Amino acid sequence: MNRTTRTVVKIFLIAAATVLCIAAAYYLGANVTGHKLATASDNMNYSRWLEKYFALTRAAGLLNGLCALGWFLTSRFFFTVDEASGAGKRIFWAALMAASLAISLGVAHFYAPLLGIKLNGIIFALFAIIFTGLGYWLLTIFTTPLAFKYTPPGARLILKRSGKVD
Amino acid sequence: MSYYFISIGGTGAKVMESLTHLCIAGLLPENERLYIAAIDPDVGNGNLERTSTALNNFSVFQNFSVGNDTPLFKNKISIVRPFPWNPTGHDKTLDDLIEFYHHSNTPAGKLYEILYTKKERDTTLNEGFRGHPSIGAAVLAKKFDDGSKLTAQIEKIVSEGDSVKIFLAGSVFGGTGAAGLPTIARLLKNNLADYADRISIGGVLILPYFSFTPDEKLDELFAHSENFLPNTKAALKYYSEKENLFDATYFVGDSVMTPVKEFSVGSANQRNEAHVVELYAALAAADFYARPLHAPKIFKYICRHERDKFSWSDFPASAERFVQFARFIFAYVHLIKPALNDLISGEAKAYKYPWFVDFLDGVDLIAPDVVNFNFYAEAFAAWLKQIETLDGREVFLINPAMFEANPARLVDKKLFAALDGNQSKLTIHEIFYRLTEPFKFDSTVKGFGKFLRRLYDTCAL
Repeated sequence: MNRTTRTVVKIFLIAAATVLCIAAAYYLGANVTGHKLATASDNMNYSRWLEKYFALTRAAGLLNGLCALGWFLTSRFFFTVDEASGAGKRIFWAALMAASLAISLGVAHFYAPLLGIKLNGIIFALFAIIFTGLGYWLLTIFTTPLAFKYTPPGARLILKRSGKVD
Repeated sequence: MSYYFISIGGTGAKVMESLTHLCIAGLLPENERLYIAAIDPDVGNGNLERTSTALNNFSVFQNFSVGNDTPLFKNKISIVRPFPWNPTGHDKTLDDLIEFYHHSNTPAGKLYEILYTKKERDTTLNEGFRGHPSIGAAVLAKKFDDGSKLTAQIEKIVSEGDSVKIFLAGSVFGGTGAAGLPTIARLLKNNLADYADRISIGGVLILPYFSFTPDEKLDELFAHSENFLPNTKAALKYYSEKENLFDATYFVGDSVMTPVKEFSVGSANQRNEAHVVELYAALAAADFYARPLHAPKIFKYICRHERDKFSWSDFPASAERFVQFARFIFAYVHLIKPALNDLISGEAKAYKYPWFVDFLDGVDLIAPDVVNFNFYAEAFAAWLKQIETLDGREVFLINPAMFEANPARLVDKKLFAALDGNQSKLTIHEIFYRLTEPFKFDSTVKGFGKFLRRLYDTCAL
C-alpha cells in the first residue's frame, strides 16, 4: 500500500469509526438507561427522547471525530521530524485527547438542557468511554501516521497484539 | 579471486583511505575480499594513522548482517599484518640497514659511498625516505622478502588455485612511493613467477598535486616540493624506457598544486587533508579490479569537462551508488546518531522514534561494532568535506557550501535534499518517514545491520 492510499484509507477509517461510535453510544444509551431518562424528563416520551438523544450523540461524536481527524492531518502533513523537537508530539496528542474528553462531557452537560432531555452518570461514562476512549485513543492508535505511530500511549502493545507490527 | 591493495608511503596511505570508503560504499566489483597491505617506514605518519582507524573501524563492523543482496559492506576487508610493514625498523640509518660495516673496505662499499651522501647515509629513517627514492629502493630491495609476509600470503592463495589481482599505489615524486612502486612490483613479479597466469599487477602512479613550504630552515633531510616535477619527469622517463611491470597503469595528478596547510617532515604531524586526486587513484583501483584477469595492457587517460572544476560528469564510477552512500552516512550523522545519543542518555523516550522501537529495541547500542560504525560515519563525513573544500580547486560532487567548518555537518538540514547538487524530495523528514514504513527482508538480515540496511535502502531516490 503506498503512502497516498494509506492516507485515504485512514481518513475513511476515522470517518467510519466516528459513525460507529455514534451508533454505539446511541444504541447503548437508549437500551441501558433510555427508558428511565425519558420518564424522568419533562414532556417527553421514549421516542421523542430517542430523537433528542440521537442529536446529542451525533454532535458529541462528530466533534470527537474532528479531534481524531485533526491529530491525523496535523501529524501527517504539518509536523516535520528532521529535528528531535519534531518527533513524538505526545503533548499535542494529549491536548487533543483532553479536548476530546471535554467535548464528550461538555456537549452532554451543556447541550442536553438545550434539547430538554435529562442525562445521568451512565450516559456521561458512556460518552467518555466510547468517544474519548474508543473514538480518540483507540482510533488514533490505528490511524496515526507511521512517523508517530507509537505516540498514543499503549500503541506498541496494541499494535503488536493485533499483528500490525512485529 | 582475491583483491590485494598495497599502499606505499604517505600518498599511498591516503589513496588507501579513499579506497576504504569506496569499498564500504560498495563501489568495488563483485563480492571479493580486499586484502590491504601498507608499506611505510614512517609508521607514526598521521595520514596512515587516519586510514588505519577507518580500516580498523570497518574490520569491526563489516560483519553486520545487512544481507547479501545489497552493495553495502559487500566487499569484506582483511588487513595484512604487519600493518604497516616498516622496512627500516626503529632508529636505523641506511648504513645500518645495508650493513655497511661489513662492506666498508670492499669495492661494493666504496661504490656505495660514492652513490649516497654522508647525510643520506647517517639520517635515521623513522620518518621515511624523506623524498629520496634512491634510499628507499636500496632498503626495500634488501628487506622485502624477509620482512614482509606479503609474498608468502599471496603464494598460499594462488597455490590453492585462486587468482589474485594486486594493485599498488604510491607517488612517483616523493621518496617511499617512488622507490617502492617499481621495486615491489618487480619483487612480486619475480617471486610469484610460477603463478603468472593467476596474477595480475596494476598500479597507480600519482603525479604531483600538492606543494608545501617548510616553516623554517631545517637542517634535516626532507622532501622539497620544488623537486617534485624533476623527480616526476625522471620517474616517467624510467617507466617509458624500462620494462613496464604493470598490467594496467594509471597516472593521476593535478595541474593545480594544492598547498599543504601545515608542513611536517613526517610522523604524527603529517596529517594532510584528503584530496580528489586520491579519490581518483582509488577509483583507478576499482577499475583495475573490474578488468578481466588477463586483459591487454592499458595506459588509461581520463579528462574532465571543465578546467578547474570537478563535478559528477567527471566521476568515472556509479555516481548514484556513491551519492546514496553519502546520503546514508549524512542521514546517520544528522538524524540517527543524535537520536541514539539522546535515547542512550535517557533524554528521549523510545516512542518518539518508531524506527528505534521497530529495529533497535534490544540491540546493544554501545557494542563495539555499533560504536565503530559511529566513528566511521563521522570519519567519512570529514573525509568528504575535506575533498570538497580544497584550496584552489572547485569540487562539486557534494556542494561544498553545504558543510560547516567543523565537525563535518550540513549548514542547514534542508540542504540534505540537494546533497548531490540536484534538488530531490529526499529530505531528512522523508528518510525518517520511510524508516517507519513496512518492508520485508529475509531472515539473514538482523540486528543493527538490519537497521543500517533499511536506512541505506531508504536513501535511494
